Amino acid sequence: MMGTVIIVDDEEMVITSIRAFLQLETEYDVHGFTDPEEALRFVEASPISVAVSDYLMPRINGIQFLGRVKQLQPESTRVLLTGHADKQSAVQAINEVGLFQYLEKPWDNQQLLLVIQSGIERTRLLRDLREKISQLDSAHSSLKDVQRKLLQAFL
Amino acid sequence: MVSAPMNDREAQLTAELCAARVDLDRAMVQLAEAHKMAALGRLLAGVVHEINSPIGSILSNNEVLLRSFELLDQAVQADPARARRILETCCSLAAVDKIACDRICSVVRGLKTFAREDSSDLRKADINEILANTLKLTHCEFRSRIQVETDFAELPEIECYPHMLNQVFLNILVNAAQAIEGEGKVTVRTALEDQCVRVSISDTGSGIPPASRARIFSPGFSTKPVGVGTGLGLSISRQIVEEKHGGAIGFETEMGRGTTFHVRLPLAQARRAAG
Repeated sequence: MMGTVIIVDDEEMVITSIRAFLQLETEYDVHGFTDPEEALRFVEASPISVAVSDYLMPRINGIQFLGRVKQLQPESTRVLLTGHADKQSAVQAINEVGLFQYLEKPWDNQQLLLVIQSGIERTRLLRDLREKISQLDSAHSSLKDVQRKLLQAFL
Repeated sequence: MVSAPMNDREAQLTAELCAARVDLDRAMVQLAEAHKMAALGRLLAGVVHEINSPIGSILSNNEVLLRSFELLDQAVQADPARARRILETCCSLAAVDKIACDRICSVVRGLKTFAREDSSDLRKADINEILANTLKLTHCEFRSRIQVETDFAELPEIECYPHMLNQVFLNILVNAAQAIEGEGKVTVRTALEDQCVRVSISDTGSGIPPASRARIFSPGFSTKPVGVGTGLGLSISRQIVEEKHGGAIGFETEMGRGTTFHVRLPLAQARRAAG
């Protein structure tokens, strides 16, 4: 199963570690950003499956960042990976940006992998669902069209 | 010092006074120690945050390295190109581990110099180094919103109580950070001035209101909410600088522009020089 994962952390070391792990264990397309603004430009341009973000970063925090990701790509899965263990920010994140998972540093690789795998699956399902809905919509409107023509033909 | 013989009552009072003085001195030392520990406690959340990332990295890297060696063993014969890629990853992870360990060590070193309880060691120390260690601790708190600029002059080592000065600088730096709402800048400068080292710590914060200026060094005076400040930071700082080191502490402030604290410390302690 393929997926695009972005990792946003102002610490290069975190990105390097997670990227090395994912590249060893998976076939995912992994992109790391130390600058959230740069990550947002990437999200604007290409579809992503999962965004994993740090909380405490200069200028824009993880919740603000994931909120922007949600606006740009509602079906994407958003994960907060933070060393800032504070319940209030966790609750805020879950409520405001529809967070999929809240992970704490130091993280566990197997758990992180599980979260990313199910996140990719979730995003794929949501996108499939959206596509099916739009297919249904167009089928529905063409049916209506046929119905209208039928009625016209009979009346 | 008494020229006339004292009567019993006077002698008793003097003895009581001496005992009270000793108690008071001891209480002051304990208070300063308690305040230091409280300040340290408040920094702890930042410190935890600071070392969580490197520890997370090291743990992850260790796992990936072990797995890589397994894969490497198979790839060396079958797929040399893949073996090379795995090796490159291993090297970059080992480099990250080094950086991560350095980060943890520097925070721990900062904590160690700070937490040392022994208050009797007057020794030669580098003020720039003490400041750098203190900044490592506050960095965790400052990182996201406060830019720190340092301008250190070349300084000779001075005779001082390094762990006490740590406390003074920490107090001033924490105050500086709290004076800044949102984003701002803290500048730390050192200079050598006729037989003294001068440390200046400036913030771009709100400034000290005129009504508070005369009282900021008084014990118990605080403008911070209960639970944030003890009102003892600057009074203890002044005691450390003036009484323990024969130095001077003062400030300049302007509302809306910020505050600069100046600490002047003599290069050598008088009683040492005399002895």
